[in-house]
Amino acid sequence: MAHPAQHRVERAAAVEAAKPAPVILLVDDDDITRTSMAARLKRLGYRVIEAGDGDAGLAATRTHRPNLIILDWMMPGLDGPSVCEAIRADAELKSSHVVLMTAHDRPDQIAEGLSRGADDFLSKAASKQEVLARVQASLRSSALVREIERTRDDLDLSNRLLSAKQEELECELQSAAEFVQSQLPQPGMPAPGLAMQWAYQPSLALGGDLFQVSQWGTDTLGLYILDASGHGVAAALRAIALMSFLREDNLAKAVGSYDPGAIINEANRRFPLTQEGEYFTLWVGRLHLPSRALFYAAAGHGGAFVHSTTRASQWLSSTSLPLGFDSEATFETACTQLSLHDRLYLLSDGIYEVPSASGELWGRTRLQDTLEASRHLSLEQCIGETMTTARQWLGGDIFPDDVALVGLEVLEDSVPVRRES
Amino acid sequence: MRITERRIGHSIILDLVGELTYANRTAFKGAIERSKQAGCRHLILNMEGVRFLDSSALGMLALLSQSLKVTQGVVSLLNPQSYVREIISLANLHRMLPVYNTEQDALAGYSLPAAG
Repeated sequence: MAHPAQHRVERAAAVEAAKPAPVILLVDDDDITRTSMAARLKRLGYRVIEAGDGDAGLAATRTHRPNLIILDWMMPGLDGPSVCEAIRADAELKSSHVVLMTAHDRPDQIAEGLSRGADDFLSKAASKQEVLARVQASLRSSALVREIERTRDDLDLSNRLLSAKQEELECELQSAAEFVQSQLPQPGMPAPGLAMQWAYQPSLALGGDLFQVSQWGTDTLGLYILDASGHGVAAALRAIALMSFLREDNLAKAVGSYDPGAIINEANRRFPLTQEGEYFTLWVGRLHLPSRALFYAAAGHGGAFVHSTTRASQWLSSTSLPLGFDSEATFETACTQLSLHDRLYLLSDGIYEVPSASGELWGRTRLQDTLEASRHLSLEQCIGETMTTARQWLGGDIFPDDVALVGLEVLEDSVPVRRES
Repeated sequence: MRITERRIGHSIILDLVGELTYANRTAFKGAIERSKQAGCRHLILNMEGVRFLDSSALGMLALLSQSLKVTQGVVSLLNPQSYVREIISLANLHRMLPVYNTEQDALAGYSLPAAG
């Protein structure tokens, strides 16, 4: 039985033997010199291709992509240096390894050959040992260059595949973002006598802040704004899950009431902290349209803001835990009264937790000042102006957090909403 | 974020320095896990050196409070500074995690239930 070490040697020899012999292109118009050199190289184990002039050599280079090209300097038509230049000018061939063969080795001739693209020189008078040494050295260089080229080609291919995958992912994200945006209410008149406009700018393609304004039962408008902690796809998916819970038909079944406190209490039970500590903050309002009584409750959310023309502005928020922090927590409903021409804003904390270049946050006071100062503008313009002021404070267009600002304005005496059953 | 651990009696104090955010969650969770595995029943997070706390960190603190509660453990917060104290207060987190101003108060604020 053969020793394992002997097996390894035999396997290595077999691998070596299986490698194709390096290809050397020999270009020389002198038949005797060329034939003699070719025979010498073949005896050394190389596959030799012969060409009798520069043009034929260039054509053979394109056809065979030899590992090494040995060029005679003096040839009719294209001489050796001219073939070198043609090779270097060809994107496909330019990394070929070229050795110029000369009868002389004058320094000025060597300098010219190198400047015109040769990698090395070989004297026609070189000994057998020198020819072997130079050919072997050149083939080593050539092998390294080819390895680099293969690596570069592999990298190019990987980059193309990655780019294609990235494009595919971006398309999917865009599609998901469009779906999320389609869940948001249409600006306009969510109920008679009530105008609504909003601005929404997620920090990534997909946002974890969502809001809704829609009818909840007869004469009642449901309003909410939610903030899923974190950003991106995971936060958006969780936000959509909570949004589904807050659908009118689901609330009727799962909560049995449209009372904001009851809704948040149920949501608190159904949406515990995730294993990664992700959670929601939520503000829910219920506007009774005939009386304009606004009932609301919050779970850790910065809340809503009422700007009235007849009385002091009011923040509709409370100190409360976010959803899922404490399964036994209870959330109470509070009530306020909206008046004609009042503006109610639902907003995410991303709109006022905007840092300036020095790190100072814009803050709720500045936000409130801006909303109040823009009261003479239309609701849409007021929201636009507020977003612009926040961006100016930030000194850029990309907010670090999702930003949502929803405005509602009481335009005239509301006509009770009656829906056909 | 730099985290240093000190063991005093049955309590472990983690001195936190830097920003407690989503980006630092791995280091924070690692330190918490080591404290839990050491059998800690009272974990004191020294917040004096914490400059910033994001929403993700609030969730981690709430999760920590819940998980220690299961094993009858307690997490306390020590001396959070202005902005961080405000965030904790706004999120009502002090209802879940007692906040102390001094280390002595934090250490005295918890006594192990009698064994057996």
